[in-house]
Amino acid sequence: MSSTEMAVEIEGLHKRFGHVHALRGLDLRVPAGQVTGFLGPNGAGKTTTIRILLGLLRSDGGRVTMLGGDPWTDAVRLHRDLAYVPGDVTLWPNLTGGEAIDILARLSGPLDPVRKQAMLDRFELDPTKKARTYSKGNRQKVALVAALASRARLLLLDEPTSGLDPIMEAAFTESIREVKAEGRSVLLSSHIFSEVEKLADRVAIIREGVTVEAGTMAELRHLTRTQVTAVLDGGADALAAMAGVHDLTRADEHVTFAVDDDRLPAVLAEVARLSPRSLVANPPSLEELFLRHYGDELAAVNNGSRQ
Amino acid sequence: MTARVEATAPRVPAPAVQVVHRPPADGLAGLGAMTKFVVRHNRVRLVVWFVVIVGLFAYVGDYYKGLFTTQRALDDFAALSDTPGIRALTGLAAAPATLGGAVWTKIWMTCALSLALGVVFLVTRNGRADEELGRTELLRSRVLGQHAYAVASWLVIATLSVLIGLFTALSSAALGLDPAGAGTTGSWVVGASLTGVGLMALGVGAVAEQVASTSRGANALGSIVIVGFYVLRMVGDLGNGVLTWASPIGWGQQMAPWGANRWWPLALLVGLAAALLLAAWALEARRDHGAGLLPEPAGKAGAPARLATPLGLALRLQRGPMIGWSIAVVLSAVLFGSVVDQMNRLLADAGTDTTAILRGTGVDALLALLAGLIGLLGAVFAIQSVTQLRADEASGIVEPQLAGALSRTRWVLQRLLIPAVGSAVLLGIGGWLMGAGYGASIGDSSQGLVMAGAALAYWPASMVLVGLAVLLFGYVPRVAIPVTWGVVAGLWFVMLIGDALHLPAWVLDVLPFSATPGLPAEPMSWTPLVLMTVVAVGLVGAGLARFRQRDVQPG
Repeated sequence: MSSTEMAVEIEGLHKRFGHVHALRGLDLRVPAGQVTGFLGPNGAGKTTTIRILLGLLRSDGGRVTMLGGDPWTDAVRLHRDLAYVPGDVTLWPNLTGGEAIDILARLSGPLDPVRKQAMLDRFELDPTKKARTYSKGNRQKVALVAALASRARLLLLDEPTSGLDPIMEAAFTESIREVKAEGRSVLLSSHIFSEVEKLADRVAIIREGVTVEAGTMAELRHLTRTQVTAVLDGGADALAAMAGVHDLTRADEHVTFAVDDDRLPAVLAEVARLSPRSLVANPPSLEELFLRHYGDELAAVNNGSRQ
Repeated sequence: MTARVEATAPRVPAPAVQVVHRPPADGLAGLGAMTKFVVRHNRVRLVVWFVVIVGLFAYVGDYYKGLFTTQRALDDFAALSDTPGIRALTGLAAAPATLGGAVWTKIWMTCALSLALGVVFLVTRNGRADEELGRTELLRSRVLGQHAYAVASWLVIATLSVLIGLFTALSSAALGLDPAGAGTTGSWVVGASLTGVGLMALGVGAVAEQVASTSRGANALGSIVIVGFYVLRMVGDLGNGVLTWASPIGWGQQMAPWGANRWWPLALLVGLAAALLLAAWALEARRDHGAGLLPEPAGKAGAPARLATPLGLALRLQRGPMIGWSIAVVLSAVLFGSVVDQMNRLLADAGTDTTAILRGTGVDALLALLAGLIGLLGAVFAIQSVTQLRADEASGIVEPQLAGALSRTRWVLQRLLIPAVGSAVLLGIGGWLMGAGYGASIGDSSQGLVMAGAALAYWPASMVLVGLAVLLFGYVPRVAIPVTWGVVAGLWFVMLIGDALHLPAWVLDVLPFSATPGLPAEPMSWTPLVLMTVVAVGLVGAGLARFRQRDVQPG
């Protein structure tokens, strides 16, 4: 067995809402001290999973362990070591952002005013304004400052950057790297690939309540193909016939195709022989992985023009 | 790293002259579509208010028609009704010894007050509540005039008021409430008086939702104005009647169906409604979307540690309502205390039959009735506070709290301290102030404590209702708030017109408020108070146990 300690361990999790079967045997592991990306389209069950981890929902089946305890029965004890950022932040409209931060942070443990101020500065948030007057991004910042100012061992972040501008996203990235350097664990739910790619050590992809892919970034990249675009005067047919080349398309002299990573050397040698005038090779991205798992949905959207 | 824009950009001086904005063109664009939307969005509520108010009037009318078959019976009823208590609570009909007048005395004030409050709630629900939640913003991004949504809701609610008046008049005429040979004028006047009060309340609600920046604030403001009108006429009806004319609800009374049959006070009501709606239009044209009239000052940058407990936070968040309720109870108590002696003298002039309608004799019966009213205020405060449990769950705001190291039990129990302790404090202070005021007028300083006790006797009854609210919160969270208020309104109606519902006496006696001994007219009895407290604890325990087992359900 793996010697790594797990901050979250979920096996075969089920949750029903009436006749809707939202989670159908979901698996998820968040190793301690690592950032785990949690990817899936809207309605896949990401938020339901996080709400079960928070003890707000009761699971209908499966095993869930968080920080060595049961999230439903041990909720109060576990939440001392937990910080949570929802995707859609609701605040008390007639309290200020600063008051809300203090209330949320103190519910989990003592508040560190220095860290709070540091985070307020980093996210450029005015804490004296009433929450009613905040934009979505500013409400999001309130929840982020409250979470990041804490010393929680585990951070549950549910699409935490959905209202932030790019500068604030950078501040968020920096903060998560610090959290990781301090040996704390993060579950980062998102549908923004670049964010997860930048931060995550491991990724779990879910759809329709089931985990369809999980592993370290390196493990998952191994399963993917490199995307190649070349400008060729001819010979594309020869490429299309090669083993390991997929989805080859031509527009004038522009040729685009995907290559299995183990076939990459042979295919590139063939491309070099055809004297390309331009060559772009993109490393396999998380997005591709993701698209592969939702390919049939995309196929339906594109009238079946793509497998 | 690039330089920050603010650091390099030249400072633009503020314009010396304030920009004058012309009102936006086509303020009513999209009115037709919005009218359909308002009807669709509120269809259940519109039907419920219509059925409740017209049905209540028709039901009492039908019952009284069967009950009072001779003029002798009507004369007796009129004599029985002429008490300060009846004058204070419902007012006395202009022609109390007619069948229509008897029905008016019994139910007109209830119908008028229900309609006025219902209209205020309907107005703010469509205007301020949607604006606060950001839904109006989405609508306004389409081709929709600035005033279209508001005016559409005014049209729909005004139509509701007219229909309620029309069908009240029709049911009155159909039941034959008018005296023989007098035509149906009285029926039409009674219908018109309800319509007039409804339109006036529409104006009040429309202004209130422009002034306040939250729907709760608008609801509170509108309700306070309506209740203020009610209290004005109450004092007027007990005195020489001048203050009755100062109250728009009093104008409705003074249309005097089956008596003077006056039409012109309707013009006062409609005129006031028109003036208030014009004011609301002007306010809406000036203010920013989402803003009230009062500017938002900067607040504190941090919170003290006590706010991180559920009790501390709830005390801070419910500070406004608590202050408002305290003022309401203090004012009512002072008012009641000051009129008891005056009412008592009127009572002495009335015949001995009068006492039959009140529980007990003379001034004690009157004091018991007023203590019951203070008890009702305390109960409504407690319920208003306890329903915030579900409100916080529905808005999702409880989730970040429960994501902290806070158990559901601790959250609920600390929050329940506010209705439990708060209502006891309100009852004690209210009863004491009323008793002290009355005691001062008769030179008896012990009255303060006596009446404080009389009002506090209603605390277990309030707690039963709180327990019921917690039980509903545990088992049926999605409908807990409306069902809780429905039960309270139902209890109130049953107490008001229970005799007309043919309910067995034991049913009326076990209702929390009837089970409470009516001190000081009735002897003190500990059994019902202890029993009700036990029931309340049981209900809270059951509701809490269920809440600990179920999912947290926002929405």
